[in-house]
Amino acid sequence: MSRDTLVSFEGVVKRFGNFLAVQKLDFEIRKGEFLAIMGSSGCGKTTTLRMLAGLEAPSEGVIRLAGKPINDLPTWSRDTPMVWQSLALFPFLNVRENVEFALKMRGVGKVERRRRAEQWLDRMQITEFAERNISQLSGGQRQRVALARSLVVEPEILLLDEPLSALDAALKVRMQSVLKNLQRETGITFVYVTHSQSEAFSMADRVVIMSRGKIEQIGTPQEIYRTPRSRFVAEFLGSSNIFQGTLERGDRGGIVLDTPLGKFETGGPAVVQPGSAATMTVLDTKTHLATERPSGTRNVFSARMVGEEFVGATATIYLEAPGGQEIRVQKGHDELAGLPLEIGRELFIHWDPSDGHVIAQA
Amino acid sequence: MRRKISLYGLTFSLPLLIWQILFFVFPLLFLIALSFWTVKNFTMRPDFNMVNWTTIYGRGVFWQAYGTTFALAAAASVLTSVLAFPAAYAIAFKLSDAARRWAVFLMVIPFFTSYLVRVYSWQIFLSDNGIINVILGWVGLGPFQMLNTVGATIIGYLTLSFPLVVLLQLFSLAFLDRTLIEAAHNLRCGRVRTVFAVVIPSARVGLVIAALFCFILSFGDFVSPVYLGGGEPTTLSILITDTTKSGQQWPRAAVIALTMIGTLMLVAFAAVKFAYKGKTK
Repeated sequence: MSRDTLVSFEGVVKRFGNFLAVQKLDFEIRKGEFLAIMGSSGCGKTTTLRMLAGLEAPSEGVIRLAGKPINDLPTWSRDTPMVWQSLALFPFLNVRENVEFALKMRGVGKVERRRRAEQWLDRMQITEFAERNISQLSGGQRQRVALARSLVVEPEILLLDEPLSALDAALKVRMQSVLKNLQRETGITFVYVTHSQSEAFSMADRVVIMSRGKIEQIGTPQEIYRTPRSRFVAEFLGSSNIFQGTLERGDRGGIVLDTPLGKFETGGPAVVQPGSAATMTVLDTKTHLATERPSGTRNVFSARMVGEEFVGATATIYLEAPGGQEIRVQKGHDELAGLPLEIGRELFIHWDPSDGHVIAQA
Repeated sequence: MRRKISLYGLTFSLPLLIWQILFFVFPLLFLIALSFWTVKNFTMRPDFNMVNWTTIYGRGVFWQAYGTTFALAAAASVLTSVLAFPAAYAIAFKLSDAARRWAVFLMVIPFFTSYLVRVYSWQIFLSDNGIINVILGWVGLGPFQMLNTVGATIIGYLTLSFPLVVLLQLFSLAFLDRTLIEAAHNLRCGRVRTVFAVVIPSARVGLVIAALFCFILSFGDFVSPVYLGGGEPTTLSILITDTTKSGQQWPRAAVIALTMIGTLMLVAFAAVKFAYKGKTK
């Protein structure tokens, strides 16, 4: 455990009856980082957060906060404030009273309480709503109240359980930058649980990807995006083309993956057993289209265009390779300008060997 | 289209409407009229005379009974609410789903038996040679007078309203957002403090309505003050029967009844207003 570790999960298991919600979690949360825990529903991400908050007790293993085991510490004896998905604001208190709540529970005097609440109301730009009822606020304003209520005690760590899921798209993006700035300015460690890739990747310093109670990968958004460690991660992110095959040593020193679509070269000097099964991922933005078969590369096959989709400045072209595999290619509009994009048209798919990322399989 | 829907709605609400007009509004209007009638030679005569109102309101006995009844009903509401809350809380938060269903069932069972029967059975426990005094006698205590006391009247009120109050409180607690409790714990609010800081304020409407029901039931009750309290001190319900028995004074009894209805309306209005305070803005 290094000096900048704030929280560590050591062999943490959580069972609900016969259901294994979390199996053998081993990871660390660093002081001052923005960590996102991502996964689909039921993957154990919320359970992990709730164990850290003290709302669930681990069945096995140890959770340490600042080096001290906190397994048996009830939630009201920890400083791990949480922002709920439903926000869980107290409807019988006004905005100011909500923000002052945690200070009151800590026995902070009235004058001091008011002063500190005032600071956070101001910081979250909700001072003008201080005397209002929660029911009179908009979604974004409630969000800010919830943040102020948790942050007013200036904790070392803040836990967030999908707090933005109820907001509309535009507001969501605005709140993401609010959250990110807040985290940077305060230096408070944020642990953010979400099922949304865009939220996790746009805000987090590191992302934990969970599936079926296990961690699939931990890393920076860049690392995970470029070098997914398992086929699951690559499929979950959905931004790569995935090829399955057998590894061979290439005649030019690199590695070759023998797939039904052809023998594809990769640049990476991965330490692999020739003859073993492997998966290769190529980002859809690094996958190129051509009308003529490009020369000088082996990483080529032809596919038939089946559809296209426009999102803002980029377009995603969907193609079907022989054998039925779907191929995605994502490009800016200008890059696609010269191509005859018609449904049913045969096009050549190619990519640079260095853009192929090999996942060795156990 | 709109007409059709209102007709459809009316078909189902009409029987209730007719019932209410026949058996509530009409008798109430009659009661109001009756309070201005006069009695001569044990015979009532339609009249418009304030004499009944001035007579009743001019009597110390009436105001004494009024104060007693109000105080007893208020005490019963507070006592029942305080005693019922831990039970409702435990049923709502501490029991398994199956156990909770049984608890609700057990709370309904008292209504199977007539209230009068339940009050009579209290006499067996509370009388001078009743079960409690016999048991106390074995250890050399008593006998204590328990029957025909104010305490016995209060026990009767509790018998009347306790299960209902528990159920009403239970329903308001069952619909409480549990994450609010977790959120309070998470912000360093301990278990007991959370009950006062979060659970009670969240369930306020239900708790106040439950107490209000207890007040209404106790305020108008005749059975407990007579059969357990022994008619002493006199409550308004006892005063009404006494008034009708003495010289056919139905108009004066009507004055007392109307005063009771007015009081209950005011109390109910104030309670509902308090319950929803700050919620309708």
